[in-house]
Amino acid sequence: MLEVKLHDIGEGMTEGEIVHYLVSEGDTVTVDQPLVEVQTDKMVAELPSPGQGTVKEILIPVGETVKVGTTLLYIEGEGANPTPKTSPEAPTQTVTKESQTFQTKINRVLATPHTRKVARDNGIDIEQVPAKDPSGRVMEEDVYEYMNGQNEPKNEPTLTPSQPDEIPFRGIRKQIAQKMTQSLYTIPHVTHFDEVNMTALYNLRKTLKHDGISISIPAFFIKALTYALKDYPVFNAELDEENEKILLKKDYHIGLATDTENGLIVPVLKHADQKTLQTLHHEVKQLNEKTKAGELDLKDAQGSTFTVSNVGPLGSTGATPIINYPETGLLAFHKTKKVPVINDADEITIGYMMNLSMSFDHRVADGATAVAFTNRFIELIENPNKLMLEMI
Amino acid sequence: MVVGEITEERDLIVIGGGPGGYTAAIRAAQFGQKVTLIEEQNLGGVCLNQGCIPSKIWTYTAKKKSEILQMNKLGLAVEEPPLNLDQLLTYKNTITKQLRKGVESLCQQNQIEVIEGKATFTQDDRIGVENGHQFDTYIFQKAIIATGSAASYPSDLPTESNRIILSHDLYELEEVPEHLIVYGDDDLALEVAFTYQSFGSKVTLITEGDLNFDSTIQKELKRILKKKKIKHLKGTSRVTATESSVQVEINGDIIEATHLYTSGERYPNTQSLGLNRIGVEQNDQNLIKTNAQLQTTKPNIYAVGDVTEGPPLAVKAIKQAKVAAEAIADQNPELDLMFLPRVIHTNPPIASVGLTESEAKEQYASIQIGEFSLSGNGYATLTGQKEGVIKVISDAKTELILGIHMIGEGAIELSSNLVQLLEMAAKVEDARFPLYAHPSGNEGLLESIEALTGQAIHQSIKNQKVKERSFQ
Repeated sequence: MLEVKLHDIGEGMTEGEIVHYLVSEGDTVTVDQPLVEVQTDKMVAELPSPGQGTVKEILIPVGETVKVGTTLLYIEGEGANPTPKTSPEAPTQTVTKESQTFQTKINRVLATPHTRKVARDNGIDIEQVPAKDPSGRVMEEDVYEYMNGQNEPKNEPTLTPSQPDEIPFRGIRKQIAQKMTQSLYTIPHVTHFDEVNMTALYNLRKTLKHDGISISIPAFFIKALTYALKDYPVFNAELDEENEKILLKKDYHIGLATDTENGLIVPVLKHADQKTLQTLHHEVKQLNEKTKAGELDLKDAQGSTFTVSNVGPLGSTGATPIINYPETGLLAFHKTKKVPVINDADEITIGYMMNLSMSFDHRVADGATAVAFTNRFIELIENPNKLMLEMI
Repeated sequence: MVVGEITEERDLIVIGGGPGGYTAAIRAAQFGQKVTLIEEQNLGGVCLNQGCIPSKIWTYTAKKKSEILQMNKLGLAVEEPPLNLDQLLTYKNTITKQLRKGVESLCQQNQIEVIEGKATFTQDDRIGVENGHQFDTYIFQKAIIATGSAASYPSDLPTESNRIILSHDLYELEEVPEHLIVYGDDDLALEVAFTYQSFGSKVTLITEGDLNFDSTIQKELKRILKKKKIKHLKGTSRVTATESSVQVEINGDIIEATHLYTSGERYPNTQSLGLNRIGVEQNDQNLIKTNAQLQTTKPNIYAVGDVTEGPPLAVKAIKQAKVAAEAIADQNPELDLMFLPRVIHTNPPIASVGLTESEAKEQYASIQIGEFSLSGNGYATLTGQKEGVIKVISDAKTELILGIHMIGEGAIELSSNLVQLLEMAAKVEDARFPLYAHPSGNEGLLESIEALTGQAIHQSIKNQKVKERSFQ
């Protein structure tokens, strides 16, 4: 009997909602046949069958949200040991010589294990080394002699110049290129880095989760960001050079830099300051899904006043992000890691630390203001209680 | 745009804590890797907990029991000791526990993180570990699959009978069978036949064909089986079972016994690993395909032991484990199982390395055979363990030693010398030149080498003719 479990199909996914079963109890299924559609916080994914057999029992009803690792259904295999089919995925490496190590023929060159190792360590195929000894035994010296002979560049293979592969430079790729060039050539960028202790926020999130409330980390980031932006409005602004004005905006529309199959797209979460954490959580999720699925409306991708880039789930500890022109700042969140942290009592504790990178337009703000801005943000994230106070 | 749950990161994750798994973990740790070992049940795997170790406690006990009356001749008055199976089971549990603790301690000393749970690949760089309600995810740089194999009932046996004993269940049995049928010709089955003969069971060995050994060893083994009154029947057979007995129909006869032992078929523990999903290829027997450095079709994932092709032996798993760990540490190791020793704890034991006579005949134009009977060995005579023979096969043209086979007391301890001679590509003189301790069983090896040229000292003239066989 095979158990089909919800497994992690995307970056750090922890749970998924059963959208639809593609098979019914009693159906015969083959390896890799899609069994069930699962909605994660990013996308709808299909789970393929790990083996062949008959669907015995479906355990989780449609509409239920379950944790990664939960058994969704049982497949009764054909025989105790399901026969796997070769995966359609192309092998990245050729497995050869698989039966050679089990042969019983003594057809190898006469050499001791030591001599064999000398050859192996020097990248020499010992079978190719001629033996000086008439008995055919290859000695260590033979290997060295063969090696020196090889170093003479007489059999150098001719190298033919290869042609590079071509990717068409148009569409989203070209738009990204234009926007980035415009931003970087117009705005004098400065980036500073800082670190955030995420431990308290993780604990809070865990507590909420325990009570059945799931709020993603980005929702907290956006909430804290709106307060920091209100305190330092110069970062929720646009420089109007022509009219010699800095426009401090009253709307807090947060751009969410999103990696898609086609490239970078920035959906916009409107009026972030007026929304509750739970609303932010749902909207971030929705925007993400739409963006990844390529279903984003144009109105959802315009009018941002400040942009964040959450690259943490992908990795990285620092970056010098390019500002989303004509905004004045961009905040990138990096990977959260478990690290030793010295607490107030001078003890070493385990903390979750995250780096952030803040790029800003040096024409409209100075370094000290930018640091004060990120300090405010960090204060709210490190002390979620203070964030709560702001929300009252 | 979604920050994920914390997924823990590891350099190397080894799945399975058997001899392959823990050896790989320790060797990798010796090269400075941060290793995590995932084991579902007990460290030590089948080998330590159910297989090699328990079965050797049985064979050792059987051997000692069969020797003990011999002591009377030496003036040590002893009576046939009764077998206390309860005590033997207790001893087995003590020993396996002690060895398990040893492995645990080694893991600890090497700072190997041991996690209990069932592992499944969720992606090609990610493993989920399930333990009760807990499900944790780990990201790894490299992984080694060492999940081993399990025995299953051969499909042609009636599965519903407590009288049919599969593989290591024998080492849990609380009674000595009155009449035991040993069904099969594998090495484990032969050990069982000898063990229970010594424990006092009537033993019948049933195989489909001849026993799979070099002709000389086979002949001697058959003679010893006969002497020990182990009946050996060959042919196609059919097994039926009732609540209190087992019947085997063979060559028109029906043999009835109280119990039947079979080693069963072994299949690799790969079903729940999610290998198809991540593209680790398996052959048609579900064994994982690897290259000479044990890399699977996913280059960051390695496989060792019974889940790979080749014989399901711990000696193979242990070597593969070292090769895989060293390959991961960029040490450029090599796996070559050509001279894998086959050792069987029958009474007397058997050790076999290299080509058999029939294999050598197929590959070489002319070969030489040297045979020496242990009855001519002084030390074997004084210990009363004169049964057995040593056979050496060499290439007549180059004098290269091709294979050495032994049945007789001390064969297993001597097997390392046999492997070394072959691995060092020794020629006849390389084996004949060194000094061999006297008096000892080792001299038997020297005399079998001397017998290649008709020069064994302790051999009757009529057996001294040089056996050179030409096939051109």
